[in-house]
Amino acid sequence: MNTPITRSARKRKMRQNLVAYSFIAPNFIGFAVFTLGPIILAFIMAFTEWDGNNPMKFVGVDNFTNLFTNDRFTSALKNTIVYSIFTVPLTLIMALGLAILLNQKIKARTFFRTVTFFPYVASLVAVAAVWNMLFSPSKGGLMNQLLMNVFHTDPLKWAASPKTVMLTIILFSIWKNMGYYMVIYLAGLQGISEDLYEAAALDGAGAFQKFRYVTLPQLKPTTFFVTIMLTISCFKIYDIVYMLAGGSNGVVNKNAIVLVYYVYEEAFRNWKLGSASAAALVLFVIVLIVTLIQFRGEKNYAND
Amino acid sequence: MKKRLISMLMGVTLVVTSLAGCGEGGAQTPAQPAQTETPAQTEAPAADTTADAPAADTTADAPAADTAAADEPVTIKWALWDKDSTVYYQPLIDGYTAAHPNVTIEMVDLGSTDYQTVLGTQLSGSDCDFDVVTIKDVPGLVTLANKGVLEPLDSLIAQDGIDLSVYSGITDQVKVSDVLYELPFRRDIWVLFYNKDVFDKAGVDYPTNDMTWEQYDELARKITDTTPGAEVYGAHYHTWRSTIQLMGILDGKHTIVDGTYDFTKPYYEMVLAQQKDGVCMDYATLKTQGLHYSAAFYQGNVGMLNMGSWFIPTLISKIKDGEGAAAANWGIVKYPHAQGVEPGSTLATVTALAIPTSAPNKDVAWDFVKFVSGAEGAEIMAGTGNTPAMSNEAINSKIAEMDGFPTDAASKEALTASHAYLEMPANEKSSEIETVLNEQHDNIMNEVSTVDEAIEEMNTGVQAILAQ
Amino acid sequence: MKSKTHNRILRSVIVYALLFLLAFVMLIPFVWMISASLKLNKDIFMIPYEWITKDPRWANYVDIWTKIPLATYALNTAKLTLIVTVLQILTSSFAAYAFAKLHFRGRNLLFLAYISTIAVPWQVYMVPQFMFMRRLGLADTHLAIIILQAFSAFGVFLMRQFYEGIPDSLCEAARIDGMSEYGIYAKIMLPLSKPALSTLTIFTFVNTWNDFLGPLIYLTTDSKKTLQIGIRMFISQYSAEYGLIMAASVISLIPVLIVFMSLQKYFVAGITTGAVKG
Repeated sequence: MNTPITRSARKRKMRQNLVAYSFIAPNFIGFAVFTLGPIILAFIMAFTEWDGNNPMKFVGVDNFTNLFTNDRFTSALKNTIVYSIFTVPLTLIMALGLAILLNQKIKARTFFRTVTFFPYVASLVAVAAVWNMLFSPSKGGLMNQLLMNVFHTDPLKWAASPKTVMLTIILFSIWKNMGYYMVIYLAGLQGISEDLYEAAALDGAGAFQKFRYVTLPQLKPTTFFVTIMLTISCFKIYDIVYMLAGGSNGVVNKNAIVLVYYVYEEAFRNWKLGSASAAALVLFVIVLIVTLIQFRGEKNYAND
Repeated sequence: MKKRLISMLMGVTLVVTSLAGCGEGGAQTPAQPAQTETPAQTEAPAADTTADAPAADTTADAPAADTAAADEPVTIKWALWDKDSTVYYQPLIDGYTAAHPNVTIEMVDLGSTDYQTVLGTQLSGSDCDFDVVTIKDVPGLVTLANKGVLEPLDSLIAQDGIDLSVYSGITDQVKVSDVLYELPFRRDIWVLFYNKDVFDKAGVDYPTNDMTWEQYDELARKITDTTPGAEVYGAHYHTWRSTIQLMGILDGKHTIVDGTYDFTKPYYEMVLAQQKDGVCMDYATLKTQGLHYSAAFYQGNVGMLNMGSWFIPTLISKIKDGEGAAAANWGIVKYPHAQGVEPGSTLATVTALAIPTSAPNKDVAWDFVKFVSGAEGAEIMAGTGNTPAMSNEAINSKIAEMDGFPTDAASKEALTASHAYLEMPANEKSSEIETVLNEQHDNIMNEVSTVDEAIEEMNTGVQAILAQ
Repeated sequence: MKSKTHNRILRSVIVYALLFLLAFVMLIPFVWMISASLKLNKDIFMIPYEWITKDPRWANYVDIWTKIPLATYALNTAKLTLIVTVLQILTSSFAAYAFAKLHFRGRNLLFLAYISTIAVPWQVYMVPQFMFMRRLGLADTHLAIIILQAFSAFGVFLMRQFYEGIPDSLCEAARIDGMSEYGIYAKIMLPLSKPALSTLTIFTFVNTWNDFLGPLIYLTTDSKKTLQIGIRMFISQYSAEYGLIMAASVISLIPVLIVFMSLQKYFVAGITTGAVKG
């Protein structure tokens, strides 16, 4: 069996593996010890009752059955999904549009790029304060003035009404985060070879066709990244909701509650870490499914 | 494969370490080598701290914990918030260390906004080296007590013969399953702040220490001016549920953890009508705008503000530095009361000290807690313009004499409460009940639900929690 | 010919109109921050909002340094941010190379493990992680923050996606020339990935610089605290000094903007094309 060829092949394979592992090790060891470990523990916690101090008590799937009978959790799940379905594609389109716009040779490009990134880095308090001024539920708010005087419709109560609160949160987060994803797209655009555009131009392609047949396909790895990161961050939305829709004593009510807010509430208000972990595990599974679907899509273009 | 193994091992190690760190059993697990910090793991089981002599507690390397004999230097760590903006921490420490020069007290500032989260995390497991922790509110106390990280104080209190009656009943309201885990050192009561200038301008008499809610409502409406651009608000309610919902518990017939909330209805209806008529600012706007109640009061166009006595020192200092100039002419009166109820019933919040079960220097910690919550501490608190938990005539006089406190007799008298009901009495489920109540308060004030619908939701929601 | 220039002019008019609208919408919070930082607390949340204060309070910019040890906090933050960013860049780009260009057992599974952990909210494993770190004696140390931030899955994912866009043929050619994998990483991949490295630097810098909850939980000694904790100190139990918060936030934004502006120059079309042509 052990012909010299297979043995050397196997040896080479092993060498290859070792080299690869050596690349991964510095990051992976830190990651595994300090992040992956606690996460695995958190998933074990989902099947226990634990307050962070007293001994853990295994309760099987009780945490999960309780979750799905708790209407704060089911509302959170529903709101998070609705939020993500709208926010992911809209942010992606805005970010790509901005990146293409700001990748052109325009004057004061640095200025415009920085400005676009700004709401992402500015203090959330400031950004939310400005937003609340524009989208104030009173008739004096700028958007309501616009609605009444230009569109002749009734003023909206925005974040103060159960009908429009999610809309307000979605608009806000697109505005705040599109600059972030624009940066990723900008970096991605730099990887596209000028030759491809030249070749397309020779074939008589117009601006739209260049975009359709060169830019978009070349940006696939970036889009994969952006889609996954966006999906994950949308499912993890938390502080925006708290800032915009926190009511009495900061409690977010069922119309706007999201998953991570629920996790926070269970973990640090009620100290039910088991139940919090169970909610996080549900979130994890949803995101994992979405990621796996994306992953399947990615295989098609992998350049081997 | 190897990596997967490592991560599996990691998980297991974590389970072991965290479980080993769990509570009192810790002393029985010598297999745990990771004793890196704190030389003296005084892991005396909580229940054993009873009357037996301090010597029993003192392990070989613990600093001589017997306070009487102790001259050896001890440093204790005190977890608190707002170290730099709270005026009484340092005087309290100075007061204590003057008599105990061997003790150093180190303040650990965990921040105000997330205090409960940080404290709860720090106290998880048994490695925490805090000796004294400040307890911000009752839900916070209950969660920590349920976690079993606080030392029960009953036996220590019995042993030292501490008279709890000076706390006028608070200590009974903060017992968790009949065990006392904290000793209060600060108690704030709710009063009605008012701006005398607003009343003068409207030519209306000032509020008094004996007003019914109907009279209060009438007064608020009298001084209100809804002229756009020059609004005067008769009343102001901050977005907390306590500003409205808890008016209902002051007749002493209901508590907020009962499970039925129909008694809140008249108060919600009163405030909703005020909101509709422009007597107070709109809740939805306040909520999104994030306007702080103090900023609202400093505008000078708010007639009456129901708020805790904690606002007194802040208001005085802000008037001094000019920001509160438009409210410089202020006064306080007692909370209004329901028809047929003795005036002076009000809401209270307490700030208290507790000792973690993991505290390295429990005896010194207890001695310090006794000092801060006792008569000497109360004296120091009052000297800084803050209301100590131990309330009596002398203390109230001291506060009323403070520079900047209103000089009228009614304001001084307002500091005395006939009955003080905690905003949230201790209950196993405090924090979950709180969520339901806050949620429905928001729904009512935003006019998303009618008062009846929201009360129905509160009743079913809280009853479900209590039944768990 | 004429209509073509016409078109071009029309096009740039539209582009610039769009750009100015964009700049306006994105800049409002910045203008708000600056104007709020020059106000008394009570005036900040008043409606109608006064964009230009009649009586600017420059004192806010002095008070933030004296009321709390902001300079110490800023230094701590700078130290942490620099170390984390360097570690993150090194370890992530290194690991990403293996995920993108090498074949080894368990590659996809491992990669998926990386990505999916990003989806787990920190709140849920914060407590066990903290207990574990404290057992290691890392509570209240800067090292804890560095460890938490430096080995993120995010960086690996970002770099891996960028490397995916670089043709394999480049690596193959180098391998045939006898270059080791380490050599390919250092001499070919790194120089080619400047835009991605810039992106990762910007993001890591911003995240570490603005991180709040991590330092809050771990750092309890005053001298070790960070800028973001300092800013929150102006929000106390009974009042919130928004004038000071905004002044400190404006100051804390400056390094972030400098980093962004100096690195965005690597987002220039065509800098990589020459090399990729290979």
